Amino acid sequence: MTDKAKQVQGKDNGLAPCKTCLKLCKIEDRQCQRCGTTISARDYTSVQKSWALLITAAILLIPANVYPITIMTSQGTMRQDTIFSGITHLVELELMPIAIILFTASILVPMLKIVGLSIYLCAISFRLPISKKNLMSGFHIIEWIGRWSMLDLFVISITAALVNMGQLLDAKPAPAATAFALVILLTQLAAKVLDTRLLWDRLELDNDTN
Amino acid sequence: MTQIETPKVVKKKLFSPIWLLPIIALVLGAWLGVKSIRESGVEVRIHFPSATGIDVGKTLVRYQGLTVGKVVDISIDDDLQGVNVDVLMDYRAAPFLNDNTQFWLVTPKASITGVEGLDALFSGNYIAIKPGDGDSRSVFEAARETPVMLPGNDGLVIELSSDTLGSLDAGSQVYYRQIPVGKVISYRLETSEKIVFNAYIQQKYADLVKVDSQFWNVSGFDIDASLNGISVKTESLAAILAGGISFSSTGNATAQTGQHFNLYESEALAYGGKEFTLIASNADQISEGSRIQFRGIEIGRVVQSNLDDTGVEFKAKIDHQYADLLTGTAKFWIEGADISFAGVKHASRLITGSIVNFMPGQGPSKDSYNLLESAPEIINAQPITLQLTASENPNIKQGAQVRYKQLPIGKVTKVAFSDDFKAVEYQVEIDAVYASLLKQNSYFLPESVFAIDASLDGVSVTTRDLDTFSQGAISLISGDSSSLLSTGSKANLYASADAAEQAMSRASQTLITLSSPDGGQLSANAPVYYKKMQIGQVNQVNWQADQDNFVIEIGIDKTFKRLIQPNTVFWRNSAMTINAGLSGVDIDVAPIEGALKGSITLSLLAEDQQANSDYLYQSQVLAEAQAVAVKLHFPASTKLSAKAAIRYQGHQVGEIEQVSLDNDLQNLTAIGYLYGDYADKFTQDDAHYTITEAKVSITGIEAPETLITGAYVSVTPGNSGTSSFEFYGKQSAPLTLNEGDVRFTLIRDTLGSLNIGTPLVYRGVKIGQIDHYQLNDAGNQIELTAHVEQPFAHLVNQSSQFWDLSGIKVDFGLFSGAQVETGSLETILAGGIGVATELVTSQSNQIATGQQFTIAPKAEEQWLQWSPVQQKP
Repeated sequence: MTDKAKQVQGKDNGLAPCKTCLKLCKIEDRQCQRCGTTISARDYTSVQKSWALLITAAILLIPANVYPITIMTSQGTMRQDTIFSGITHLVELELMPIAIILFTASILVPMLKIVGLSIYLCAISFRLPISKKNLMSGFHIIEWIGRWSMLDLFVISITAALVNMGQLLDAKPAPAATAFALVILLTQLAAKVLDTRLLWDRLELDNDTN
Repeated sequence: MTQIETPKVVKKKLFSPIWLLPIIALVLGAWLGVKSIRESGVEVRIHFPSATGIDVGKTLVRYQGLTVGKVVDISIDDDLQGVNVDVLMDYRAAPFLNDNTQFWLVTPKASITGVEGLDALFSGNYIAIKPGDGDSRSVFEAARETPVMLPGNDGLVIELSSDTLGSLDAGSQVYYRQIPVGKVISYRLETSEKIVFNAYIQQKYADLVKVDSQFWNVSGFDIDASLNGISVKTESLAAILAGGISFSSTGNATAQTGQHFNLYESEALAYGGKEFTLIASNADQISEGSRIQFRGIEIGRVVQSNLDDTGVEFKAKIDHQYADLLTGTAKFWIEGADISFAGVKHASRLITGSIVNFMPGQGPSKDSYNLLESAPEIINAQPITLQLTASENPNIKQGAQVRYKQLPIGKVTKVAFSDDFKAVEYQVEIDAVYASLLKQNSYFLPESVFAIDASLDGVSVTTRDLDTFSQGAISLISGDSSSLLSTGSKANLYASADAAEQAMSRASQTLITLSSPDGGQLSANAPVYYKKMQIGQVNQVNWQADQDNFVIEIGIDKTFKRLIQPNTVFWRNSAMTINAGLSGVDIDVAPIEGALKGSITLSLLAEDQQANSDYLYQSQVLAEAQAVAVKLHFPASTKLSAKAAIRYQGHQVGEIEQVSLDNDLQNLTAIGYLYGDYADKFTQDDAHYTITEAKVSITGIEAPETLITGAYVSVTPGNSGTSSFEFYGKQSAPLTLNEGDVRFTLIRDTLGSLNIGTPLVYRGVKIGQIDHYQLNDAGNQIELTAHVEQPFAHLVNQSSQFWDLSGIKVDFGLFSGAQVETGSLETILAGGIGVATELVTSQSNQIATGQQFTIAPKAEEQWLQWSPVQQKP
């Protein structure tokens, strides 16, 4: 149980860090004495928020993939591409590296993020027996890599701004781009709002040391 | 810190408001899903004959430029007769998908009139839809051709029917006064021989189309190429390339949509015209479309040809503006290209075919006319027809122009030989307008293509146009006569202006016929001179077999007519006359032309002289002398040659023209001329002709000039009163006794030195001479015939004594001494007879002709003493 003794949490001592400026404050103060942010030992509502955002993102993922994400007009020919058809198009053009990057950033990462976050939230909500360490490292990966999913949107927005030659060559974002952007945004938010400390409590409650 | 904290009751929220987010997303997604399902459209199947130009996912369905569908699949139909194109139609198009809805494939079109839908060019073909009514359906058969589809609801759609498409196409403009007012929307083959166009007229121009409007094709060029140049008539550039239709707007009633019109090939056709029938035996050169021309202008055409029992019947149409020309006596005939070695006339007709030529007439028009094979002989008596005669054809062809001052005034309609093949006859037609140019003395000349007029002043080259080169041309030289030529008159076509002038002047010439023993080196056209100026020419020289002489016909110009008088004489000019005499050499050279062709000169004798005006003399001398020809016969030994003179007492009275040896070799026959003045006397039958030759004797040279000129003929006149022109000449002169000469005979034993010509000397003066001597018949004496000339006749009588004076007489006696007696030196050399008379001559003692005297050897003393005083009678 030396292990347990080491694992003394701040809240046990009535201390909690300010979420904004990370000042260690007394929980009973309720407000950070430095920045005035409300201090709470744990934000139990964050799980709900995260879930809600995640579910929204999951819903939006469907139109994001079904609807075309770009409208390319080349010599009068209008071409609408969904994310997947764009990738297959790149594969057809034998631009495999780009296709892989695009596939990773636009399909794999959002999917994995949602799945990962789902697992994470499930682990919190339903106390899944998953190693605390794995979860945390996975969470950080998701949080870090999630921002790269914006790559696709950057490409679209830059292309739309630069390629604008009317009927000859034109690129425009299609409805799916909004949906896709929301998916990325919502998953990022879902990861952000989640109070990761809850995980620790749960795991410690379970006394799971693995 | 003393603040009392009130416990907070925190109500645990079951749901955070954040949960609205997924709900909204869900709702939104659901709505989108429902919407997309609802708007996913209607899938229809269109059957096309082929899938050319149709791509899955690319080919769109458009209605009035709006995309209403998209091809989603193409499959081959079950019986492999076409393709089924599955099209996903916009849900909003669903109400249009009915029984009468038509689909067809539109291919992008770039034409001269414009590019239709540049976007379509890039987006590719599309399927057009024309909504229709009827029950809803989802399987359609594609239309093969573009159905009539209005660009808008307003405007006017009319139908035009034509035989040929021309260069019209859908999209070709419809023009009104060259303003585009509409378009050809489509065309189709209605029956096997009729094309029906649908044309759309914009609303604002719709009222221009009347019920009576005429439509015609203005596509392409209207090229009128002729020798005059090329005239190109076109509508706008677009109409040239893309075709176009123009129309007229006449009448009041405005046309309604769907009205049917005829589309004519040209404006002229559109305006219609008058139809009539041409009847011909065959359709050899004429076919449908053959032109009818009047003065080279197309006034109508053959529309249709039908074979009937007797021949061919052509339906022809004359343009409405020329319809008035179609009159009762109008003529129609076939005219084709005229090919000859000189070139091709109406070359275009080789390509376009023969034409029907037309000549209007009078009276009301008929329904049918005969189509003649060739131009009618006399058309309405309008042009003036003349008959031209030329000695040969100067390359004038049928159809050649007749010009006046280089302006065409008519043409040659016929070229033929005259009936006797001696001349070429032309029939020419002169337009009636120029009738006033055709004077009675007008004549025609052929145009030379290339004329060089070189003179000392310079060289002028005249050339004419190519037409003249190929066809030849005739120029009219209008005369100054006041009376005009009428149709059928004859005129002459001369080879050149000179020839014409010549012929014209000849026509007014005075003709004279001359006779000549020879042709005189004359040929036709040899000049006739008067004082070295040409006043006429020889027209012809004919030989007359019966008389063996030549008849020369000459013409004297009108101006010189007065020269032909009874006292006019003609002679032949020699090329060169050399009059070489002891007095010098006189050379007279005739004008060159005369020298080459021979020439004749005329001149007038003194007015009171009567001349032999119809005889051509050999020379001026003979002519002016009015020489009379005589024929002289001489013994062959005579040394006579041509040009020898005929002299009387040393005077030339004529000359020998020609000397020839007779066939019997015994005699010479000389033709001589006696000058008119003397001819009378010398052509009496008792005239004598003798030859005089030079005689060299001691006493001198008799006729010394004959040493150079040769012998001449001496003539003594006759006085018998009977004319003769043939004489037998003698070697020596006959006794020529003058009036009053005393003639007698002297007798002597020997001739001694006496000779003919030995003088009779009276006191040293020659009073006569011995004319002749001869041996008497007995042979014992010499009879000398002598005469004493008239002035001295009274010096001799019967008492006269005669003695020989010849030689030197020397009396040598012992006592008397030497006595030398001589006459003159001449008598010493030539001899002489002395004469002395004793008594005075009286009526009683005159010497009778033929009285004889004896010549004494010497004079007696007393004779020399006689000295009677004679009385001259």
